[in-house]
Amino acid sequence: MRKVYLNQLRLMLVTAILAVAPAQSQEKKPIVIAVPVGLSGVNSVVAPAVVQSAELAAEELNARGGILGRPVRVVPLDDESGPAGAVKAFNTAIHQQNADVIITMETSAARNAGAPIAERAKVPFIYTSFYEGRACGNYLFVNAWVPEQVVPPLIKFMTDEKKVKRWFAVGSDYAFGRGMIEAAKKTIKDMGGTILGEEYQPLQQSDWTAIISKIRAANPDGIIYSTSGGGPNIDFLKQLKAAGLTMPIGSLSIDELTAEAGGNAAEGVYYTGDYYTGIDNPENKRFLDAMKKKFGSELKTPNALSQQEYDGVHAYAMAVEKAGATGADAVLQALPTTVFKGPRGSVQMNKQHHAPLPIYLAQVQADGKTKVLKDFGLIDPGDQCPQLK
Amino acid sequence: MYTIQLLDVITTAGVLYIVALGLLLVYGVLKIINLAHGAFLVLGSYAAVIATWLGWNPWSALVIAPAVGIAVGAVAEWRVLRGLYVRPLDTILATWGLNIIIVQSITLYFGREIQFAESTIAEAVNVGGVTYSLYRLVLLLVAVVLGVLVWLVMRRTQIGIVARAVIMNEELAEALGINTRLVRFVTFCLGAGLASLAGALITPLVSVHPNLGVPWLINAFMLVLVSGMSLGNLALAALTLGGAQVLVSSYGNPVLGSLTIVILAVTILRFRTITT
Repeated sequence: MRKVYLNQLRLMLVTAILAVAPAQSQEKKPIVIAVPVGLSGVNSVVAPAVVQSAELAAEELNARGGILGRPVRVVPLDDESGPAGAVKAFNTAIHQQNADVIITMETSAARNAGAPIAERAKVPFIYTSFYEGRACGNYLFVNAWVPEQVVPPLIKFMTDEKKVKRWFAVGSDYAFGRGMIEAAKKTIKDMGGTILGEEYQPLQQSDWTAIISKIRAANPDGIIYSTSGGGPNIDFLKQLKAAGLTMPIGSLSIDELTAEAGGNAAEGVYYTGDYYTGIDNPENKRFLDAMKKKFGSELKTPNALSQQEYDGVHAYAMAVEKAGATGADAVLQALPTTVFKGPRGSVQMNKQHHAPLPIYLAQVQADGKTKVLKDFGLIDPGDQCPQLK
Repeated sequence: MYTIQLLDVITTAGVLYIVALGLLLVYGVLKIINLAHGAFLVLGSYAAVIATWLGWNPWSALVIAPAVGIAVGAVAEWRVLRGLYVRPLDTILATWGLNIIIVQSITLYFGREIQFAESTIAEAVNVGGVTYSLYRLVLLLVAVVLGVLVWLVMRRTQIGIVARAVIMNEELAEALGINTRLVRFVTFCLGAGLASLAGALITPLVSVHPNLGVPWLINAFMLVLVSGMSLGNLALAALTLGGAQVLVSSYGNPVLGSLTIVILAVTILRFRTITT
């Protein structure tokens, strides 16, 4: 009795598979782009914008028939903005979703946990966030800035145009804050400036009184600072303004959205970067209009942490078309040779898997909006991964 | 020369006093640490955001904030805490849960990004030869006024006497016919209202986001533990511990400074003899 039942089950199973299989093989297998991003955790403010960038790029590719005739599918996953989540998300992406490529921005901790997984599985990983630099891997490519690209132009501008010789450096006490100030100090010294003081504040502390009093006492020509992203910028700037200090300020941590939410707190602050919504070229206008059209009221304003995702997806598409296959080795050969002309300008990841980028100088206006002042042209990332020629 | 340090010390003490006052009242009367205090701070600062959205005068935030705090505190006390007083440790856990719920509700509605709230006063003035933030000086004044007001209520009104009776010995007070349930309710509402008012008051100094209450809660918690139930002690604690933090941050560095209040509080608690 049991044996008969088991046989019937097997027969049903085989029939079901045979029925479905032909239907599947008629559709083209999609190219899966996994986006493990911080849907929860500290990056949850930016993550929706990143996913939207990827989705717009995928929609544009599919509108012209996909990549090599295959449809593009974007799969967002949650890396919980940290290493544990990244491990889960990368494994899901590679082993469950059969991702052809991983294109995303993440915290450095998450990236350091996920990248080896992609490397071992031989899946290309395009990292789209600016970061502290020196992350290397055969399968890892970066299309966003490293400190060597944004710090020297800002310091040089403030030294030459704002006549800042005596500096005060302020940072949040963690890897990014200290790393950026380190880079700033090096440039300041190279340009012959002096650093009157260097102070760091714990991440959770929102009362900058002591540091502001030190700045007041030192009376520098200018301030260079790098807090963590978001809120702490406004804490510092609000209190600085209320204390009546008016010397020029250069920021290595502020972004357009935070500046706008701060009202006039950030007025006058200078900062450099590779993407601003105010960049005046036809690709950026087209990109912004397309985003508005696709997402309407759900749009999360494209910003310096999300726009690069769009560039990354298109660069990958170009590489696959060039290589004629999605095999990792072919793509790896093709990626450094593809030049994608997007909202930032022309981007090519040909410098040790990093990209020389068009860098702009911007200043926050009285209403919190950012105005692009200058275009420094393409800035080289320097020696990020000398072992990867 | 030391004008700046002096101003920093007293204005920081003022801000800490305002933030910790609500927590002290709840601790004194209800004998629990209200871990939702930080969440009420956040509520108050978002009241300022809403006032800006509605286009109202930024000073109106100082009315909206305590109103919202009292309303939410009333519901919380009535529905959540009242049944738990027989289990004080569970009550504290409940306030932690309340904290999570309030903060996450705000996050759900407003999002995690920082919000804009119009400031009431943003100028600096010349004090004793230095340019200093006018708003911080105003906050010092507000701290003094609030402290005196609460002290007057405690010492000179019927409500105050009743509250003090409950603080001293709740069971005896109940035996004497005092409605301790009502006293607890009113005190919690007052504590929540004061916390939200504090939140609105500190908004011009900080960026508004759902986690803004966290650093303040820890410092307020330490100050209250050290002060016991005395308003005067709280002022003293704010001056000494807050002042120590400012001085360590100024002469040492802020990383060490952030440890100061906690280390001092623990030391004081360890070596102080128990008083009634």
